[in-house]
Amino acid sequence: MRNRSRHGWHRVFNGVNISAFLVFLFIVIPLYWMIASAFKTPANVGASPPQYFPHPFSVKNFDVAFSQNTFGRYILNSVIVAVVATALVLVLGTLAGYALGRLPMRGKFTVLVILLMISVFPEIAVVVPLYALLRDIGWLNSYQALIIPYTAFYLPFAIWILRNYFLAIPREMEESARIDGANPLRTIWSIILPQAWPGLFTAGIFTFTACWTEFLMALSFNVANNYRTIPVGVALFGSEFTVPYGTLFAASVVAVVPIAVLVFIFRRSVVSGLTAGAVKG
Amino acid sequence: MSTSTPNRVIAPARPASSRAGRHDDVFRRQLARLGWGLSSPALILIAAVTIFPICYAIAMSVSNVSATGNGFSLSGLTGSNYSIMVHAAQWRYALFFTVFYTVVTVAVEVAIGTAIALVLERLTVGRGWMMALLLIPWSMITVINAQLWGYIYNPTYGALDNIFSHLGLGTPVFLGTRVPAIAALMVADIWKTTPFVAIIVLAGLVMIPRDYYEAAEVDGANGWTTFWRITFPQLRPTIALAVLFRVLQAFGLFDLPFVLTSGGPGYSTQPLAILAYNAMFRDLDFGPGAAVATSTALLVVIGSLLFLKVFRSQAGSEA
Repeated sequence: MRNRSRHGWHRVFNGVNISAFLVFLFIVIPLYWMIASAFKTPANVGASPPQYFPHPFSVKNFDVAFSQNTFGRYILNSVIVAVVATALVLVLGTLAGYALGRLPMRGKFTVLVILLMISVFPEIAVVVPLYALLRDIGWLNSYQALIIPYTAFYLPFAIWILRNYFLAIPREMEESARIDGANPLRTIWSIILPQAWPGLFTAGIFTFTACWTEFLMALSFNVANNYRTIPVGVALFGSEFTVPYGTLFAASVVAVVPIAVLVFIFRRSVVSGLTAGAVKG
Repeated sequence: MSTSTPNRVIAPARPASSRAGRHDDVFRRQLARLGWGLSSPALILIAAVTIFPICYAIAMSVSNVSATGNGFSLSGLTGSNYSIMVHAAQWRYALFFTVFYTVVTVAVEVAIGTAIALVLERLTVGRGWMMALLLIPWSMITVINAQLWGYIYNPTYGALDNIFSHLGLGTPVFLGTRVPAIAALMVADIWKTTPFVAIIVLAGLVMIPRDYYEAAEVDGANGWTTFWRITFPQLRPTIALAVLFRVLQAFGLFDLPFVLTSGGPGYSTQPLAILAYNAMFRDLDFGPGAAVATSTALLVVIGSLLFLKVFRSQAGSEA
């Protein structure tokens, strides 16, 4: 289907392949550099000229990151915050997305536009008031200090994604459920949800990635070592003059690879989520 | 949240059922109530966590804010926060830097991203793998990306200096002076975000009807003409949306310079968000900091509304 220009096909084919290979290198080289450096010996990480292949191959950096430093704890913190926030976003987002997509609520477009505005609002504008609020209720340096703001900030986008999926489900099915006397929550649970799985998946991966990578709020609310998430731990590691890159990259590889694998496996739903706005307008 | 704007247009045009009209009305009202009930947990949480702080930040920006023992207190209205901000050379530079950075990175990312999308569309082997690969930089923690580039740019053992000296270009200190530092920051950003643009553009590309190309081929148009006469006009809405996403993101730029350059040397890579953050969290200048943060947010909101308006009217006139 794609070889529409059989005309001069060979030339195009070569050009395309070479360009694609350049794109591949452009993306892979920095990633390779991070992974390769993680497996150098700590001394070789700072070798000049740099070692292009780790020799000898070493896992010492991983040992330093996870047994002499608390990167394990940071990863645990990130997992807790991201998993709980994503679960909350999916539950609340499904209910709201269903209502805003399917039910005849007056003024729902105003709500949807406000939600869109909130989802693009720069975090910096709300960080200090939120900091003051969290401090007053004694929540600084806690899991809920990130879970609640993340849930609130990533809900609008999830509601939009879910609403788009709900809109595409044929109406007849839920109407027949209603006539059969099923209550609304039951309708959502047994009629809507089974068909909206791809939407839930997409919204879930987006929310999880957003929580996993968020830095500004995590830096402002949770700097105590026990509550740092990975971005904060990675940013604040080392002193002003020396950054122990080997340790850092060992921790980074562990933080990046699971998400990369997740995104890799679910690439279809991630791509459809990324492009939902672009294609549906 | 003001949600009471009467907006009758939205009542879905259901086919008139056999039921009596009045009965239908009651039923619809019940459904509407159910809708508010179902969406209220989400809407209340969003309002509490986002709308309250937004209003509070606006209030801070127009108040006398004094730092106290464990925070700050507001007293009395004032315009001085904004006047301090406007008269500060740092703010004017940060505004210039943020706009300049946004324009350059978004332009380069859209150009390269479109080129990558065109390549991937024609790629016959390993297309799925390439798509998955493109997602990896997108999913990467920006702070890690910043540290990685910091290592690449390192003046004593960085890989880039090694490559430069092999090419006989000396060993520049990339992050030590203004122009190279800005360029270095942009390269790190372009690496991370161009794949995102490429994926969005590719989605627009595959939507273009095949027969347009066939017609162009019959007319004997070459590749270049076909791109500018058919592909690009058809892609415009998609590219516009990618630009909007990226501009909004770039305008809130924080993570990358915070880690890679700390806004330096001097404040030559300091965007508005870092200026506001430092003012409030480091220097405890809460009033002016809130003014910077609030005006940045306002620029983003006004910018995106204008964009949507222009975009809508353009899309409307073309349809």
